[in-house]
Amino acid sequence: MITRFITEVSTVFNPFSPKAKTARLFLSFLPPNARQTMKVSTKLLPRVSKDPSFVQLKFSTNSYISDQQRIMYKSADDSFLEDGKEMKLDAEKLGIKGVIEEVDRHSRILSRQEELTGN
Amino acid sequence: MPPRISPPSKAIASILRCKRPVRIQRHYATILPAASHEQITKSSPPIARYPTTQPPSYKPPEFRKSQLLRQYASLIRTTPLMLLFQHNNLRSTEWVGIRRELATALRKVDEARVAAGYPAENVGEGIKIQIIQTGILASALRIVDFYKPESAPPALDPTDPATPSMTIPSFNPDGSNLTHVLSKAAHAATSKKNHPLDPLLSGPLALLTFPAVSPQHLKAALSILSPVPGQFPAPTRRANPGWHDLAVQTGLQKLLLLGARVEGKVFDVERTKWVGSIEGGLEGLRGQLVAMLQGVGAGVTNTLEIAGKSLYFTVEGRRIMLEDKAKGVSGEKVEEPKA
Repeated sequence: MITRFITEVSTVFNPFSPKAKTARLFLSFLPPNARQTMKVSTKLLPRVSKDPSFVQLKFSTNSYISDQQRIMYKSADDSFLEDGKEMKLDAEKLGIKGVIEEVDRHSRILSRQEELTGN
Repeated sequence: MPPRISPPSKAIASILRCKRPVRIQRHYATILPAASHEQITKSSPPIARYPTTQPPSYKPPEFRKSQLLRQYASLIRTTPLMLLFQHNNLRSTEWVGIRRELATALRKVDEARVAAGYPAENVGEGIKIQIIQTGILASALRIVDFYKPESAPPALDPTDPATPSMTIPSFNPDGSNLTHVLSKAAHAATSKKNHPLDPLLSGPLALLTFPAVSPQHLKAALSILSPVPGQFPAPTRRANPGWHDLAVQTGLQKLLLLGARVEGKVFDVERTKWVGSIEGGLEGLRGQLVAMLQGVGAGVTNTLEIAGKSLYFTVEGRRIMLEDKAKGVSGEKVEEPKA
């Protein structure tokens, strides 16, 4: 999974529902230093809750850059601004493969843009 | 002159050779010592068909999986309280930090208990956090909770000569009458069942196991591993600077409390926190119970006394009444002669 472009992850699930597996696996696919490069928030529902589980994501075009660098880039060229695309993925329907596919599809577009602009 | 009987053909000769006994064992003439008295009166020691520590197994015992299953089953049987955590790609330095902080916090609880006058049990030393293989744990949980063999095989030592040879726990070659964790019976009884903890058992899991249900230790562990401001406050920077290390903090962000198994029952996060928030631990609960029972006792004594008292008053009243009557009669009688 390409996680370079994700800036924010928020998941909601009830661990006692078998359908929560997708959201939990998604969290386990994030790299060890994920908390330094993106905001991760997790909400656990109580056992009796029937609310659906979902994964919400936000993207940026700049991969792995500190805030200071981001400000520099912004002043240099507006095309480096975060695209800020938000995705709300229904974890119950897609399954972990589907979620990864969606994330990778958008991430590949972003990485191609990055290559074309010469980074 | 050629022999009258022609030799048998080669094919027949080979068949004949096969039917002949392969080789007759040689017997040597030896002098056996006479059997002793004990050998005559007692039966010879029965032959152990397998070591008692290694009963034949349905699953190949040399696999790591099989041994892990045995280990998990014994772990589940001996821990009345265990917490399940999901660990998302923790680094080894982070694990080291978390284990260190947990151990120091639990040691403090033990010391506080000893200082408060309770006997030293060292529950804290038995509390461990460990990563487990999820699928094997699920199987072990099902075996522990659903597989209850009706009759345990008799605990006899097959090498003991006093054991009558008829009662040796013999086994069928297919191992169909064995009842241990790796046996075929255990597998058949549990493989199609669903455990209430099953939905939690997916993805990377770690277990925090307690050798006894101790709310105080649970509270200390929760305040380290998943602090909630107010209920389970995190240690302050002054009291415990190690907890605020970068490695520990990044590790704790990736550790997620999912649920618990308390004395065979499945608890979610809220119920787990409730167990941890029992004031004063088990002693506190016992104190509350004793106070309640004492109140009940006083009530019962009062109730019982009331019946006795009312009887006493009734009888006493009747006695006074009778005495008065008797006095009255006697008074009348006394008056009559006067008149």
